[in-house]
Amino acid sequence: MERKMPKYNIFHTKVDDILAENQFSSADFESATAEEKESMVEMHKSVSYWRDAVRRFKNNSVSMVALAVVILLTLFAFVGPYLIPYSYEEQFRGSMKLGPFEYSEGELRAKEALGDADVLFSTELMPGSLTSLKKGDYAFSYRGDWYQFSLNRTLRSGFLMYNGSKAEPLYTVKIDDFIAGGDYETTSVAFTVVKDKPVDPDVTIISMRSSVFPHVFGTDSAGRDIMSRTMYGARVSLLIGVIASLIVLVIGSIYGAISGFLGGKTDFIMMRIVELIYSVPDVLIVLLLQVVLQIPLQNWFDSSSLPIVRALSSLGVGIVSIFITFALLYWVGMARIIRGQVLMLKKQEYVTAAMVLGASNSRIIRKHLLPNSIGQLVVTTCLQIPSAIFLESFLSFLGLGISAPMSSLGSMCSDAIDTITVYPYRLLFPAIILSLLVLSLNLVGDGMRDALDPRLKK
Amino acid sequence: MTSYILKRIGSALITLLIVAATTFFLMNAVPGSPFITEKSTPEMIARAEAKYGLDKPLVVQFVNYIKGYFVGDMGVSLKMQQDTSVAEIIFNQNKLALSSRIGAYALLLAVVLGIPFGCIAAYNRGNWIDGLLRVVTTIGVAIPGFVVATTLLVLFGVQLQWLPVRSGSMETASAFILPVFALSFYPSCYIAKLTRASMLDAINQDYIRTARAKGLKTGKVIFKHALRNSLIPVITYLGPLTAYIITGGFVVETTFSIPGLGKYFISSILNRDYPIIMGTTVVLAALIIIMNLLVDIAYKLVDPRISLSKGDV
Repeated sequence: MERKMPKYNIFHTKVDDILAENQFSSADFESATAEEKESMVEMHKSVSYWRDAVRRFKNNSVSMVALAVVILLTLFAFVGPYLIPYSYEEQFRGSMKLGPFEYSEGELRAKEALGDADVLFSTELMPGSLTSLKKGDYAFSYRGDWYQFSLNRTLRSGFLMYNGSKAEPLYTVKIDDFIAGGDYETTSVAFTVVKDKPVDPDVTIISMRSSVFPHVFGTDSAGRDIMSRTMYGARVSLLIGVIASLIVLVIGSIYGAISGFLGGKTDFIMMRIVELIYSVPDVLIVLLLQVVLQIPLQNWFDSSSLPIVRALSSLGVGIVSIFITFALLYWVGMARIIRGQVLMLKKQEYVTAAMVLGASNSRIIRKHLLPNSIGQLVVTTCLQIPSAIFLESFLSFLGLGISAPMSSLGSMCSDAIDTITVYPYRLLFPAIILSLLVLSLNLVGDGMRDALDPRLKK
Repeated sequence: MTSYILKRIGSALITLLIVAATTFFLMNAVPGSPFITEKSTPEMIARAEAKYGLDKPLVVQFVNYIKGYFVGDMGVSLKMQQDTSVAEIIFNQNKLALSSRIGAYALLLAVVLGIPFGCIAAYNRGNWIDGLLRVVTTIGVAIPGFVVATTLLVLFGVQLQWLPVRSGSMETASAFILPVFALSFYPSCYIAKLTRASMLDAINQDYIRTARAKGLKTGKVIFKHALRNSLIPVITYLGPLTAYIITGGFVVETTFSIPGLGKYFISSILNRDYPIIMGTTVVLAALIIIMNLLVDIAYKLVDPRISLSKGDV
């Protein structure tokens, strides 16, 4: 079937090119020496399937670059949140609607304080904890020493600056409290040095930071850091992609293997079901399922106390209903591919041998048929990841799927549209990350297909 | 051939019935009555349910619902436009007309752009034009539709201000440019890739070499011999393309705030107006299924090599 492509372009044929391709020198016609004959006996060392696939993949420079991008994005999504001090749901009341690398007034004051010789150390409080920073005792540690202070009033949002100047008789903690209307009020609080970490449960321990971290991608209208939301969204996307493709892998491969292996009437009925699901317009059903599953899922999460249900409910209704739609609709492609593979493989002698030896059907499927379709399984699963991410972002963009305060790249894009004339960068970052992610995952998948299953190469 | 067409129509009808049933029973599986609001009393809910026939057994409701389709009765809107018939909303309020206009333009543009670019890429195989087109089409099929739509919006609407931004009115022709282009970007890239691949496959066939050897002009070889055979995959793609245009339309209409059926459908989902959701789903599904049917039949007509007796492909 497959044709060898000529090296020259058929529409720009030059006689020289064709001649060059068919050029032989007299050396080509000399008879082989004894060593050459010897070397033909074992020309290549026997290479395992995986090693051969890895070699092919490595030779594909596009896929290697794409793989590097995927790794970088995975680091961005999973390690990034630990490197930046903002979380995806915190609302910084003083720092709303900031552009990339812009600082709010309070942050500028903190930065200034850092530049001041008197202030050795400044830190900002998480507004989340600061809103709960009521009257009471607090402690923080700095270079191994512990310091303690007490507050006599509640603070809303702002920056805590530790003035450790030795010249002053009393060490103070300056607190910039953000008051509504954009003003700040500075309060000084005296603190004492204590030897050990306080064991008193009433003392709240505050973590301190030595610099004001910039909002690299800016903040949104609610004062949330866009970069941390993008990281979180990328993490959600990757998780959904991987889990959804695993669901597809399990259901599709089992269904396809059973259908192909048993054949006959069973196969006929099973394949009619597949065709039916195939012909149903999937996106319409997915949208319906998103509507329908919302309430029952929420009820189920609220009523059940099984650990698995707890884990699922922490993911949220939106994500779980995406998984369910994948489990219901998207396994058919995988089932078809695996059925085709199994139909081909089951005529092989080793399957007959296994049957003669009395192996059960499930054993033949598990030990012989599925392992021999591993290339197809891996490739189809890999290519499923970007399509799952695609679907999730599509749903979130339309306002279904994942909803606030959780973030998803799709919902961030749709939020950004309302303010697109004023803050176009809010769209830019999630859109770029999402496109890079889907594009590079697709390219990696293509590379894997070429590497694991060279017959499919286009 | 007739038996194949009949068989295909039969299976299309079954699919449609299944979509309608799935839609109906899924909507009814949602707990809680659509009439529950903060103020409503049980009596009020019961009265409203009786009015809309929601107090009858589910199967009776379903049969009534299906019967309704044959006389153009698709129920009435419960929330979005209270008491307006769904058929009226879908067909007579200019929503479907607007959406199908955008969709048809996009479909046309995708074919008109995709096939020539695919041919150009195949013709220039291996040189920089092919390379450039390959980069563009690879990116085009990989990035999500709403990214394309929003990027175009930012670039041409906000930054350059060449074209109107989300005005909501579709009176002028210029309002169509961005939505149609955004909607056709993915399919034109896909068609270009498809055409390039099948074109390359075709031009390495023996009959092309024969045509070249006979001394036919390049143009004639491409258009008369190679292109005609390489269009078959493009024809089979027209079915999925319709489905894409419809679902992509949701995104494009939301992005450009076009008052079409897609945007209305999404807001009916967000508002949980069940009769509208059901009606629109069935109408759109019917559109997709009919298109698939036509494509399947056209495919068999175009390519005599495909056996007609053996039903399945």
